[in-house]
Amino acid sequence: MQPITCHECGTRVLVEKYSEIHTSVQWLEDAEAACPEFARLAEQGTHSAFVSTCMALRRSIGAAVREGRVPESRFSEPAPLPTEGR
Amino acid sequence: MGDMVAEDEVRLIEAGSNPTRFARGWHCMGLADSFRDGRPHEIKVFGQTAVVFADSSGKLHMIDAFCRHMGGNLAKGTIKGDEIACPFHDWRWNGEGRCTNVPYARRTPLRARTTTWLTLERNGLLFAWNDPQGNPPPPHVTIPEIEDYGTDRWSSWSWKSYLVEGAHCREIVDNVVDMAHFFYVHYQIPHYFKNVFEGHVATQHMRSTGREDIKTGVQMDLPEAVTRSEASYYGPSFMLDTIWTESGGETIEAKLVNCHYPISPDSFLLQYGIIVERKPGTGVEQAEEMARTFTDGLEVQFLQDVEIWKHKSRIENPLLTEEDGPVYQLRRWYQQFYVDVEDVTPEMVQRFEFEVDCEAAVAKWQAESRENAARENSAQA
Repeated sequence: MQPITCHECGTRVLVEKYSEIHTSVQWLEDAEAACPEFARLAEQGTHSAFVSTCMALRRSIGAAVREGRVPESRFSEPAPLPTEGR
Repeated sequence: MGDMVAEDEVRLIEAGSNPTRFARGWHCMGLADSFRDGRPHEIKVFGQTAVVFADSSGKLHMIDAFCRHMGGNLAKGTIKGDEIACPFHDWRWNGEGRCTNVPYARRTPLRARTTTWLTLERNGLLFAWNDPQGNPPPPHVTIPEIEDYGTDRWSSWSWKSYLVEGAHCREIVDNVVDMAHFFYVHYQIPHYFKNVFEGHVATQHMRSTGREDIKTGVQMDLPEAVTRSEASYYGPSFMLDTIWTESGGETIEAKLVNCHYPISPDSFLLQYGIIVERKPGTGVEQAEEMARTFTDGLEVQFLQDVEIWKHKSRIENPLLTEEDGPVYQLRRWYQQFYVDVEDVTPEMVQRFEFEVDCEAAVAKWQAESRENAARENSAQA
C-alpha cells in the first residue's frame, strides 16, 4: 500500500488501487481525531464509521493516482492475516 | 524449485477450528414482546442455558437457567412477582441474579448470586450483553434507536428465526464483504459496493438492481427497482440495514435486521426482521403486507445462505480475486470481539475502507441474466 497525505489536513493513510474504480484505504490513526471533516460530522451526530468517504481525502488520492504515485496492483498473498489465525 | 513448481502446487484449505470463546458484544435475543407472555423462556446461548423472564413492571431479565440449589431448570418454573421460582424447590431468583427467598427455609442464602446478562430493549427487540471478561459495555458500544420506531411511520416487525447447525457464526458475518454472492445467492446485481470498518462497526454501502431472470420479493415486485442499502454491524452479531427501494420515482424505505446469537461453537440462531415505512395514504394492512412480502423474499435468500453454510468448509485462507471484498480485513476487525479488551490491537479497529470495482462483474452478470431470461421466454413460447 502507498502512503498518501491528505491535501486538506495532512492525515497520512495507506492506499491501494486494483483498478481505476477500486480503492482501499487503511487509516493509521483514529479517523475522527485525525480528520477535521470527520470531526465536524461527528459533532453533528454522524460518526465516521457510517460515512463512506472523506471527499477531501478522496480528491487527494485522485491527485496522487493521476501523478502516478499509486500504481495499480493485484490482490496478492500473503494476505494481511488477522492475528491468531481466526 | 523454480517458479513453475510453486505455481502448480496444490492449494490446500486451512480449515482452522471454531473458537470456543463467544464474542463480546450485544446480541439480539428476539422480539421483546414475545418474552412478555407471563412465562419464563429458555434460551440456549453462549454455550450456556439462560432463562428470560419479565418482572411485574414488564422489564426483561436474563439469568442462568439452572438453580444454584440443586440445578433445577428455572425456565420450567414460574414467574412469581418480580422473581423466577424454581420448579424443583421453589427457590426464588431475581433479575439481578440474587436468591431472594427459600420459602421453606429459616435462612435464605442472600449472598448467593447466579450468572446474569445485562439486557437492553431497543426498537422492540431484546438484547443481551456478552463479555467473557465480565465487563459492562462502554457507553458508545450500543444499539442505535430507529427514528420514529413505535409510531405509525413503520409497520410492525415481520420476524423470523432459523437454527443453523454445523457452522460457526463467522460465516454469516463474512457475507458483509462478499460482493459476488449477492448475485448467486441473493439474486442481486451490485453496481456499487463499499465496506468501511471502524471501531466496533462494520458497514456495507451497496447499490444494486435485480436480475432479469430471477425476481425476488426484496425488489417488492417493482419493475426496474434500484435498491440502495446501508448496512452496519454494531458489534459481532447485530446488523441493521436501511434499504431504499426506488422505482418509478417512488422510494420505499425499510429497515432490515440480520442478526444471530451463538448457541455453541458450531451452531447459532439466525434471526431476521423487517419493518417497512408506511407511506401517507397507505393503510396499516398494506404496510404489513409489504413487510410480509419483503420478509418472505428475504427468507428464500437467507435459506440459500444457510444451505451454503451447512455444507461448506471453514476456510482460513480464502483464495480471492480483485472483485472479492476484503475478507481478511473483515476477519481482522471481527477478531476484536474474540480477544480480551486489553488485547484489541489498533489494526483491528482503525478505519479501513474498501470500494470494490463492480464494472466487469456487472457487465457479465447482466449478460448472463438476460440470456437466461431470453432462453426461458423462448422455451415458454
